[in-house]
Amino acid sequence: MTVLILTCEEDVTADMVVVHLNASGVPVVRLDPADLPGAVALSGEYVHGAFRGHLQSAGRLVSISGLRSIWVRRPGTPATRAPDPSDWLTEESSQALYGMLRGSDARWMNHPDAARRARHKPWQLRLAQRCGLPVPATLITSFPQAAREFAERYPDLVVKPVSGAHPQDPPRAVPTSRVAPDTDFSAVAFGPTLLQRRVAKRADIRLTVVGERMLAARKTAGEADEVDVRFASPDVPWQATEVPPRVATAVAAYLRGAELAYGAFDFAEDADGTWWFLECNQSGQFGFVEVETGQPIARAVADWLASPGTEPSSHVNGASGTVR
Amino acid sequence: MQPFALNYARPAVELEATTPYVYDTGLQLNVTMDGRIAAGDSALLRELGTTTSTAGSKTHFDD
Repeated sequence: MTVLILTCEEDVTADMVVVHLNASGVPVVRLDPADLPGAVALSGEYVHGAFRGHLQSAGRLVSISGLRSIWVRRPGTPATRAPDPSDWLTEESSQALYGMLRGSDARWMNHPDAARRARHKPWQLRLAQRCGLPVPATLITSFPQAAREFAERYPDLVVKPVSGAHPQDPPRAVPTSRVAPDTDFSAVAFGPTLLQRRVAKRADIRLTVVGERMLAARKTAGEADEVDVRFASPDVPWQATEVPPRVATAVAAYLRGAELAYGAFDFAEDADGTWWFLECNQSGQFGFVEVETGQPIARAVADWLASPGTEPSSHVNGASGTVR
Repeated sequence: MQPFALNYARPAVELEATTPYVYDTGLQLNVTMDGRIAAGDSALLRELGTTTSTAGSKTHFDD
């Protein structure tokens, strides 16, 4: 049985996992959907009540029924490297590839439906609340007056993108940033805005969860104005830390509810030691944590991908779904 | 008419256009110019920042 990895060629974090799978003798096919059609080819037939499908990439041919797991890491958009790309061809290629794969019995890390839903940060906040994780007071609004009133109640605020995405025209980064007390909120009317009470943190926490395995890393916070750890000084290292039992229980519930096999949680640890939920990235990077802490995250991913599947899951409000 | 959050935007810092490794379709791994597996070189990965949480932000939502 083969592990299928969907990612771009330059993804060295995926390499870290491939190395472990190779060492274990687990067959791997790695491809980028951007190369379909072209370097990647597929075929599937539905005849006499059965399905037979195959994928080919770089001389490797794999049966879709022979897949044990599918890891959706950093895949390109289907057909974007085709000789004559178009939106139509992208949709055709996407439907063919992911449509066939959705019909397989392979386990997913993570299933596209669960992944798509899990990217919604407002949904994340609500699920975290339901699972008992502390969530900082948050407002998402396009009403300037609502923003002003929220700022009166919580004078120490940060702002961050609702989607987590960065604008590309021109390319800009929008880090989580402090909002000054005398800020003019008029521009809130021009786009939904996420305001959140700033947690006076003494550390950032990155909790990487692979299946049921939890690996937490902690980074001592720097200056109060640098609230976004992604843009903080690299001089302070990440260090492995323990997961408080209550957090572990709530995080496990979160992943069950989200139907995710992998999640990278960001928390802010306050002076009391409370871990405040900020977000869960369903495909969050882990290489930098492993490089700094030595935690065996890539091995954990490889072990999960290589292990036999358990019961089929519902994937977003299916018949036996647990998520409302 | 600029959305509020963009008042806090910074110019994006682009990663180096070239990396000292190249994808080997046979190995399904990136290898350095002297033939070593890039993923096995922690110092190289740390230096390049290709595994950090901002590395994939340009094209992916998930950090």
